[in-house]
Amino acid sequence: MMSLPMLHNALLVGAMLFSLGLVGILTRRNLIVMFLCAELMLQGVSVSLVAWSRYHGDWGGQVLVIFVLTVAACEAAVALVFVLQAFARTGRLDAAAWQTLREATLPRVMDSKLPADDTLAPSWPTLSPAGVLPPGDPQESLQREHV
Amino acid sequence: MQPLFPATLLVLVPLLPLVGAICTVLLGRRLGPRAHLPAVAGIAGAAAVALILLLTTYAEVGHGGAHSEPVRPVEMITTLWQWASVEGTPAGEGLTSGAQQGFSIPVTLRLDPLTATLLVIITGVGLLVAIYSIGYLHDDPGYPRFFALVSMFVFSMSMLVAASNFLLVYVFWEAVGACSYLLIGFWYSKPEAARAAKKAFLVNRVGDFGLAIATFLLWMTYGTLNFHDTPNSAIEGILSQTRLADPGGIVGGVIGTAICLLLLLAACGKSAQMPLHVWLPDAMEGPTPASALIHAATMVTAGIYLITRCAPLFVACPGALAMVSIVGATTALVAALIATVQNDLKRVLAYSTISQLGYMFASLGTGTMLGFTAAIFHLVTHAFFKALLFLGAGSVMHAMGGVIDMRRFGGLRKVMPITAATFLIGSLALSGVPPFAGFFSKDEILATLHAKAYPSAHAQEHGDLPVAAGADRSPLHLAAYSSDAHAATPAGAAVGLDSLNTPAVWQTLFWMSLVTAGLTAFYTFRAVFMTFTGPVRVPPEAGHHAHESPPVMTWPLIILAVPSVLAGWLLFSTDALAHFLSATPSLWAESVRHTATPLEFHWDLAIQGTLAAAIGIAVAAIGHLGRRSDLPQMERYLGPLEPLFANKFYFDQIYQALIVKPLEGLALLAALFDRSVIDGLVDGVARIPVALGSLVRNMQSGLLQRYALAGVMGVLAIVYALAWQLRG
Amino acid sequence: MFGSDPTSAGTLLAAGVTSAAVSLWLLLPRGTQSPASMRLGTVLGLLALAAFVATGQRLGSIGEEAVFLIVSLVAVVAGAATIVTRSPVYSAIWFALALAGVAGVLLVLGAQFLGVATIVVYAGAILVMFLFVLMLAQPSGMAPYDRVSSEPLLSAVAGAVLLGLLTLSIGRLTAEPAACCNTPSRAAAMADAAPVAPAAADVAKADRMESDQVARLGAELFGRHLLAVEVAGVLLLASLVGAIAVVSRGEAAAASEGRFSR
Repeated sequence: MMSLPMLHNALLVGAMLFSLGLVGILTRRNLIVMFLCAELMLQGVSVSLVAWSRYHGDWGGQVLVIFVLTVAACEAAVALVFVLQAFARTGRLDAAAWQTLREATLPRVMDSKLPADDTLAPSWPTLSPAGVLPPGDPQESLQREHV
Repeated sequence: MQPLFPATLLVLVPLLPLVGAICTVLLGRRLGPRAHLPAVAGIAGAAAVALILLLTTYAEVGHGGAHSEPVRPVEMITTLWQWASVEGTPAGEGLTSGAQQGFSIPVTLRLDPLTATLLVIITGVGLLVAIYSIGYLHDDPGYPRFFALVSMFVFSMSMLVAASNFLLVYVFWEAVGACSYLLIGFWYSKPEAARAAKKAFLVNRVGDFGLAIATFLLWMTYGTLNFHDTPNSAIEGILSQTRLADPGGIVGGVIGTAICLLLLLAACGKSAQMPLHVWLPDAMEGPTPASALIHAATMVTAGIYLITRCAPLFVACPGALAMVSIVGATTALVAALIATVQNDLKRVLAYSTISQLGYMFASLGTGTMLGFTAAIFHLVTHAFFKALLFLGAGSVMHAMGGVIDMRRFGGLRKVMPITAATFLIGSLALSGVPPFAGFFSKDEILATLHAKAYPSAHAQEHGDLPVAAGADRSPLHLAAYSSDAHAATPAGAAVGLDSLNTPAVWQTLFWMSLVTAGLTAFYTFRAVFMTFTGPVRVPPEAGHHAHESPPVMTWPLIILAVPSVLAGWLLFSTDALAHFLSATPSLWAESVRHTATPLEFHWDLAIQGTLAAAIGIAVAAIGHLGRRSDLPQMERYLGPLEPLFANKFYFDQIYQALIVKPLEGLALLAALFDRSVIDGLVDGVARIPVALGSLVRNMQSGLLQRYALAGVMGVLAIVYALAWQLRG
Repeated sequence: MFGSDPTSAGTLLAAGVTSAAVSLWLLLPRGTQSPASMRLGTVLGLLALAAFVATGQRLGSIGEEAVFLIVSLVAVVAGAATIVTRSPVYSAIWFALALAGVAGVLLVLGAQFLGVATIVVYAGAILVMFLFVLMLAQPSGMAPYDRVSSEPLLSAVAGAVLLGLLTLSIGRLTAEPAACCNTPSRAAAMADAAPVAPAAADVAKADRMESDQVARLGAELFGRHLLAVEVAGVLLLASLVGAIAVVSRGEAAAASEGRFSR
């Protein structure tokens, strides 16, 4: 037996998880993150179902959550295979890479402003020039490949 | 009469050719050069059955001899199945009597002397033509198609004359028209043939329209379309014995005249009478056997059959009857005049057919028993000798490599003696030279016209005569010229056409017919002399093998030549045909029966007719006998009339200017309207969704997440609505 | 957990929705973002969280309340982090944490089996599979598509509005029936939807649920829903076979096309 306030709060948590998952699936372009967001939405629904199940004292909600788990597992297996196939074809995990079904007269949507990502760019040590170094020494680049 | 035996046999007559046609269609390609077998077998079976039926019916009628006993009507009705049946409704406000009594179309066949006679002609001539075609078309690529069509035609025509219902008659009236169309256009890749087929079809539509309206009017007037009485029905059939025995059973007056004129229009279309005759000469583009069968011997006589079948209806409307004769005699004369200047052998025969059919119409229009039987008599003899002439022409054409222009060959009697001899027999019969078949039938027609034109002479001859007596008995009788008689038929007085029914008109018609007889002899022998006499000339198309046709083609000629010689004398001297036909219910009707006259041979008329024929032959002989047919012809003496005849009285040109051109203009206008206004409207409507779509087209980005966002927006709206429901 | 004055509750909800939308918009990857805006987003997000927490209701005991608050905050914060983190690997790890929070919520709610099953199946199996795929398919460095979002503003607003509407509806649903359904017709219409105090039989049933949780759930699952369990088993098998078939065929096709096959 569960109290009414507990039901209220549980439903609130479920709604928040669901909304967050929704925003994620709408915005994030990485296919895998999109699937994570879908799972997040499923979690929100699961919480709501369990709350109602407990409130009404009916097992149906919890049984349904078990099936949600099962189906989520199947879905993840199949969907990840498709993600892999998509990656094999485009070399990207980008949902926007697949837009050939647009109106024929429209141009392809491209990312207009993509800033250089400084955070992960390799930063080489800057050495003060001591002596004469021939420009474009092949040895240097050869070594730097293995840094 | 045993009910089962003739009923089964009667069904066989149309059924066997139908089966033959279907077999030919299904197996035609596989049978190859033997594709004629199913059709010929089917038609032969039908011919045998028809002969048995004729003998059975003849035995039933009995040989009257010297009119020892009154003729009983003979008819046998076989209802196969109910085609359509509409229940009547109880009497109510605003319902016509037709709606109350319901409507049913039984598929019913009938056998009576008229049907039996025509069935024998149709199947007999059909069989000979089919056999002839084996030789004539032996290497044509459409060989199986031809036999399928001929077989189909025999089926349709048998059903037409055996049907006992106006709607069925209409159905098969159209069916024979369709067969005719397909056979005229048999060589459909030839533009002239395709055009001729189209022309025949369209001109026939005008007549068919008349038949359709007449059928509607008959239904409204009589409440049924059946010829016969239906058991358990209060309504008598239109041509049933009970109705015909009742003097007031047939509706006259304006309605009756309208029905008769519409039926006459239908008959004019099918039988190529003026003003609807223009299709028949062009129909000669079809294969010659088809011309012989359909456009000379059988289908074109459908109009004669229709009017004979409806004889009581016509007799009740003297004005319509007079119109029948006027149309017939005029057509006969005009067609004969045109035929005198034609150089195409088949076209001469085509105009001759129109002319002879005109004779039959003139005879029918007299409305006497003699007139009807004489028309059928002429129909029978004409079927034989005209089929013979057409097949002979086809034989010539076959030997000449397709050339049919008489100016390009000559003296063929030495090349093809059998054809020449049989053609000569046919020509003598057509010209009305005694004792060939055409002489007797034409003599009867002249006699019946003469009786109408000079009733007093005939009345004196006979004394107490059925004709005069009939005039006293019935106001409907045709001898009733006086205004008193008109007053006696109150509705008839309203019909202005009845004023045509005067001796002066009939006298004119008689003399026109006599002149036509002379012209017939002239153009026939002109064709004979141009084709078969003089020095032998063969066109280059014939090659080196201009020869007599194969036996499969000459035997039908010989077989047809026999009745062309004998049929007239046999049928006339014994009076068998007239006596036999008088047992047909339509002719047994009181109004027709009392006009019957005893068999009589009018020496004066026979001499006049023979004289006319002799003059015609003599003129033809003077002009053409022994001369080269490519030399200038007699028509140069016609002066200004020659172009009139040669251009067929400008009928085609008049129709072109009055009907075809305005219709084409109308069609052009309609096409313009369709293209600019209708299409413009449709395109305009189509532009609305295009404009609407262009507003949201840019949302179709192909990006999955934008679509999902749009979907979520919709979900938001739904959730908002639900939350609104829950508001406090 | 505060007072239930309608006006202040409405204001609170509006503020929560607005700050949640702005916060999500600020935090979602949008290419260039200054650290200041990220910080502002975080603060706004916390504010929004507080606002939504305030719309919740007080539970009976302080201990239960504290536990529920902690686990649900873990779940929600980790969930938010899942969607705003740029690196997919970190996203997955945040998601694992969110799962842990959800499992805690489930345990608090009294669904022991599901709480454990969520950890085992999701965190143990599914998430590891995600990580494997990421390992297989992730290019070196941070991909450009991880640094931008598709329509962040509209999506954030839509999500926040949806959350607000849901919160409103939940509040109305769980409010006192007399206050919620003030008209007879509305009361009749809501009779099915509005939760009423459970009847005596329901209470007894619920008491039974408290003991022998897993055993009773198993009996229910393999009793009434046996056929569905069988079907689910077939579904699992079918997805297994299907996934293998697609992989093998796709590999062959990719190899024949000579594309980005690995």
